Amino acid sequence: MDNLLEVRDIHTFISQFHILEGVSVRVPRGKIVTLLGRNGAGKTTTLKSILGLTPPSQGQVIFDGQDILGQRSFNIAALGIGYVPEHRAIFRDLSVGENLKIAERKKGDLDRKADIIFDLFPDLKRLLHLGGDHLSGGQQQMLAIARALVPDNKLLLIDEPTEGLAPVLIEQMMEAIRQLSSETTVLLVEQNFIVATHLAEDYVIIEEGQSVKEGKIADLINDQETIHRYLEAA
Amino acid sequence: MSEFTAPEVAKENIYWATIKNSRGLLITILLLAILPFIIALVDGQPFSELLSNDPGQSKFYQALMIEIFILAVYAISYDLIFGITGMISFGHAMFFGVGAYVTGIMFKSFGWSLLPTIGLVILAGIVNALIFGIVLPRVKGITWALVTLGIAEVFFIVIQSRELVDFAGAEIGLQGVTPPEYLNPVTERLRFYYLAMIFMILVYIFYKRFVNSPTGRVCIANRENENRAIMLGYNTFWYKLTALIISSVTAGLAGALHAIFHPIIRPDIAGLSFTIAALLMVLIGGVGTLSGALIGAATFRLLSFGLDRYLGGSSQIIIGIVYVGIVLYLPFGIVGTWNQRSVRRKEGREQLLRMFTGSKEKKQDENEE
Repeated sequence: MDNLLEVRDIHTFISQFHILEGVSVRVPRGKIVTLLGRNGAGKTTTLKSILGLTPPSQGQVIFDGQDILGQRSFNIAALGIGYVPEHRAIFRDLSVGENLKIAERKKGDLDRKADIIFDLFPDLKRLLHLGGDHLSGGQQQMLAIARALVPDNKLLLIDEPTEGLAPVLIEQMMEAIRQLSSETTVLLVEQNFIVATHLAEDYVIIEEGQSVKEGKIADLINDQETIHRYLEAA
Repeated sequence: MSEFTAPEVAKENIYWATIKNSRGLLITILLLAILPFIIALVDGQPFSELLSNDPGQSKFYQALMIEIFILAVYAISYDLIFGITGMISFGHAMFFGVGAYVTGIMFKSFGWSLLPTIGLVILAGIVNALIFGIVLPRVKGITWALVTLGIAEVFFIVIQSRELVDFAGAEIGLQGVTPPEYLNPVTERLRFYYLAMIFMILVYIFYKRFVNSPTGRVCIANRENENRAIMLGYNTFWYKLTALIISSVTAGLAGALHAIFHPIIRPDIAGLSFTIAALLMVLIGGVGTLSGALIGAATFRLLSFGLDRYLGGSSQIIIGIVYVGIVLYLPFGIVGTWNQRSVRRKEGREQLLRMFTGSKEKKQDENEE
C-alpha cells in the first residue's frame, strides 16, 4: 500500500530519558490514522519526533518517499507537514487574520484557501480582526487547525483537537476533521476514544514508548481485551 | 495589504483613516516642533534670539530634549530585540558605544567628514549584529544573554585600555571631538534639535512599519513561541538576525549623534549599566509597544534630571523607589497598561452600543432566516 508517512522503529531521548523505545507508524495516503494510548505513553513525543522537534537518535522517518530523519524542523514543515500542537497553540499577540497569514508558505496561499477554511469554520471569518488572546478555547482550537490548512500540506499531525472542548464544539471539530481528511492525510492523537474511533480508519497503540498494536478501528471496537489492556485507566 | 491583515477601509477614506490612525504621532511631532518656541515664549526670549541660538531657557531645554531623542532611539532599538523578537541581551550598550566611539575616533584621529563616518557606523553596526548573531543558533534565552554580556564587556575593557589611550582616551573618555560646523551643538543647537527629532521620528515610523510587515510578524511569533514559528516552516534564525541588524545599526546611529552632541564620550555608555538603562526605559514605557520605549526614555531622563536638580545626591534612592512603584502598579509599562485599558474601554463602549441596538440586529437576523 502507498504510505505517505512511515515511521520505522524510532528511539527518542529527551535529555537522558529514553522516551520512545521503538515506535513504528504507517500512515496510508488519504486516510486518518489515530495514535492511541494512556497519558505519558509517548504519543505527543512521536509527533514531535516526526517533526524533528525532539530528534530521534535512531530509526527511520520516511515522508513521501524521502528519509527526513535528521533534517531541520522548518525544512520538514516546508516539505508539507502541518502540525497542530495540543493546548491550542495559536499566536495570542496576533489577530486571527495575521495568525492565518503567517502560515502562508507561498504568496496567495491564504486567498486560495480562504473559502475552504471559512466553510469549515465560519466563526473565524467574523473574528478576522480580533486578537488571538480574545478568542474562546474552541475558537482558538479552530484557528489552530485552520492555520495548518493554509499552505498545501500533504500531511496534518493533529494533537488532541477536542481536549477541553464543550460537547457541541467536539461535534463541530469532528466534522471539520472529517471534511479536511478528504483533502489531506491525517495523523491524529486523541484521548477521547469515541472521537478517535469515529474519525479514524486505522489505529496504532503506543504503550510505554513502544508501538504495541496496530490495525483497523472497526476491529478494535469489538476487541475488548485490547481496549482493557492498553486503553482503559490503569 | 490584504483583508487578512488590516480592517477594510473604503478607498476614498484611506487618507483620512491614515491620518486618524496616526493622530497621536502627528500631534506629538507638532508639539515637539514648536516646543523650543513655546519655552522661549514663556521665558520672554525674542524668537530672533532663539533662532540665532543665544543662551536662554529654551536652549537649555533643547539640550535636554536632544538627550531624550537620542535615548529614545537607543531604547526603541532595544525594544525591537527584547520586546518584539523576544531575545534578552545584556550587551546592548556595545551597539551604542561602537557608534559613539567610531564617530569620535574618525572625527578626531582621522579627520573624516560626517557622511563617510555615518557609513562606517552603519557597517560597524552590521558587524556587531553578526558577532552577536553568530552564536544564536547554538544558545538561547539567558545563555545568549550572558554571551552578549561577555562580548560587550570585552569591548568595554578594550576602549578603556592604556594601549588605545591615544584613540579612545582610556577611562577618562574621548575628548576633543570637533563636530562639523553646521552641526555644532553649541552654535547650531536648534538645527541639532530638529535633526535629532526627525531622526527619532523616522526611526519610530520605520520600526512601526517593520513590526507590521510579514517579517515583523514572524519576529512576534518567535517571541511568543519559537517552536510554533519553526513548525510553520520558518527558519527563525534569519528573522532574529534581521531584527538584530536593524537594532544594532539604529543604536549605533544614536551613538553617533551622542558623540557629536557631547563634548566627552565616556566609556560608561558601553557598560552594563547603560544596557540596564535601556531595559529600564523599555520596562517603564511598555515592553514590545515601540512607542513605550520613547515615552520610557523621556520618563527616565526627565525623572533623573528633575530629582537630581532638587535632591542632588540622594535622588538615586527616590528614583529606585519610583521604578519599584512603576513595576508594581504599571506591570505592562505606561503604554502597555494604557493599551490594555483602551481595549477594555472599547469593549465597554461596544457593549453599551449593543444594549441600544441589539434588539434591532436580532430582528434583522430573524428576517433573514
